Amino acid sequence: MAHMTNPLATPDQLFQRRSLGALPMELQDIIFFSTQCLTQAAGLLLQLPQSVTAQANVLLARYWLVESMMAHEFSDVSAATLYLVAKLSSHPVSPRDVAYIYTYLLSSSSAFFHDPSSRPPPPPPPPFGSESTTTATASSFSSDKSNTPYLSPSGYQAFHARLLRLEGLVLAALGFDTHVALPHPLAVTYLQALDFFSFRRDGSKEAGRRALAARAVAYLNAALLSPQALYLTHQPPALAVAAMYSAARDVGAKMPECEWWEVFDVDREELGFLVVGMRSVEGWGRKMRKDMKEAMRGRERGMLTRKDVEGELRRRGLVAGDEVGNGSKMAVVDAAEEEAARRLDEKMAEMASAA
Amino acid sequence: MDGKRHAASFQQLEKLGEGTYATVFKGRNRQTGELVALKEIHLDSEEGTPSTAIREISLMKELKHENIVALHDVIHTENKLMLVFEYMDGDLKKYMDTHGERGALKPHVIKSFMYQLLRGIDFCHKNRVLHRDLKPQNLLINNKGQLKLGDFGLARAFGIPVNTFSNEVVTLWYRAPDVLLGSRTYNTSIDIWSAGCIMAEMFSGRPLFPGTTNEDQIIRIFRIMGTPTERTWPGLSQFPEYKTTWQMYSTQPLSTILPQIDPLGIDLLQRMLQLRPELRISAADALNHQWFADLIGQSGVPVQQQSSMSSQIPGQPQMMPPPYGQVPSQVGYGGY
Repeated sequence: MAHMTNPLATPDQLFQRRSLGALPMELQDIIFFSTQCLTQAAGLLLQLPQSVTAQANVLLARYWLVESMMAHEFSDVSAATLYLVAKLSSHPVSPRDVAYIYTYLLSSSSAFFHDPSSRPPPPPPPPFGSESTTTATASSFSSDKSNTPYLSPSGYQAFHARLLRLEGLVLAALGFDTHVALPHPLAVTYLQALDFFSFRRDGSKEAGRRALAARAVAYLNAALLSPQALYLTHQPPALAVAAMYSAARDVGAKMPECEWWEVFDVDREELGFLVVGMRSVEGWGRKMRKDMKEAMRGRERGMLTRKDVEGELRRRGLVAGDEVGNGSKMAVVDAAEEEAARRLDEKMAEMASAA
Repeated sequence: MDGKRHAASFQQLEKLGEGTYATVFKGRNRQTGELVALKEIHLDSEEGTPSTAIREISLMKELKHENIVALHDVIHTENKLMLVFEYMDGDLKKYMDTHGERGALKPHVIKSFMYQLLRGIDFCHKNRVLHRDLKPQNLLINNKGQLKLGDFGLARAFGIPVNTFSNEVVTLWYRAPDVLLGSRTYNTSIDIWSAGCIMAEMFSGRPLFPGTTNEDQIIRIFRIMGTPTERTWPGLSQFPEYKTTWQMYSTQPLSTILPQIDPLGIDLLQRMLQLRPELRISAADALNHQWFADLIGQSGVPVQQQSSMSSQIPGQPQMMPPPYGQVPSQVGYGGY
């Protein structure tokens, strides 16, 4: 078992993503970015360690390599992968907690992707302490009557059913291979091994140390959000080395004179590619936020949904025409059916609980 | 593992075992007639797919070895998960009950089984997997005299920090003293301790340390292996379960407790049953122990096996235990 390595995408899989018949690339990018951001936000509110949330980001990226993005609601895929990874970690979370957090994040009272130019966001709910029970969390949501997200029993049932169904689909699609090796601990170890920390212009050695390590980890976290999907194409040592290189350049740390990356089995070409990729994420993320707003015309903020994407496709005249391949067209139709079925389920559940 | 097969591809035969998390049936592939073991996992209505099942599947997919029960397929339907394993005729517990002289097996059979057990463990450890629950019920035997490790429901890939281990309930009898003392940093050596207990049991027909509680289990071990002290085991007093009230037992020679084992066998057993985990022999070193010399070196090893290219040691030692009778296991998962 490759403990320190990850399964990587095949060239064919990558090509499929970018080929005719798939969603337009820029839409895929927006979906990828906003969903990965949603996972990060949910991980924070569920108080999961970043190592767990980062693994969920990688699993989600792998899943979308083999399954169409439009097959399921984006937020559901985010919730299912986060739930699954947490379950296998030493920080499992209950479906109910996941449901509450996602309900909050998708609601209008959430600060998630809030546009600062419009109304200021309401304060986020109190953090999700281990001592706080689900009921405590529920009551914290209902403290502000005006625009609190409310999760009805039938809404929860429907969410729960989708969560478990998607969990099964993700496991099947990934062949139960849920192992994710992260580059973060490698980067820190490598930095110590090379004594990059003995630098530099100003400040104490200790402060420099911390700044360098923090910057490297920030590069690795940002790369999780990027649809370049670097985690699907490069192994952890290469990602770690590229993050170190970029961080050292940013903070002005003195790097060894030699080709030190070769010690970690990374060649110059791969390093160069990854450094360019990682350094582009920040500017690119800003553009994403702008594009997203355009894709979600009519809404000020919140999480991108399949309906937004369908609307955007219609505006571009893509859904009716044949420019979009059958795959995603079918997916859109399926999505509509699924949505209708879901509403029906909720209705039935409501009637049942009322009776 | 293409997922294209359906549950209907298998004819379900008698039940082999049942537990809270799975039921195991004997099954037959309708197309090929091949016998299989079908482990049906109940999906929890609240939590979904059990994490034990996910771990077991992801580990078993990687662990392909002749001394590890093979996972052929995973069939996933809306509300259940079915693992298709190669069929084995029974487990070591039943084998000892039916073939043993009051549970005790013949020395040459024990040597063959121990060799195969250690090969399976060695393969797991080389692939960074701890079995964590080795016991006779989890060692599957077929009528060719092959022994394979089964039931990886509690296995873990190590290197992944986990701090939820210790409360899981597994049989105490084969549990290593460091685990009993509350260690959370245990490693491959815990499987070696279990293997030592199993070796002793095959010779005597009785479990070596049949404790009833965690405390009782510790005392039973000390009564034979001697009560350790901070001097014989530096760091001992740091364990959560360390007690200053332990009665001080002196070490009993294993050769008097198990007079049926030859001196070389005792030497190997001694190396496996070291109280201090860091002193326990590794599976790889155990396989090279002198006790196995006559097993590998003897002329009876089939020619095709000796010449068969593989860099691995021939897996099937020449001394075949008698075939296994058709006695399905009634307890647990039938070893799967």
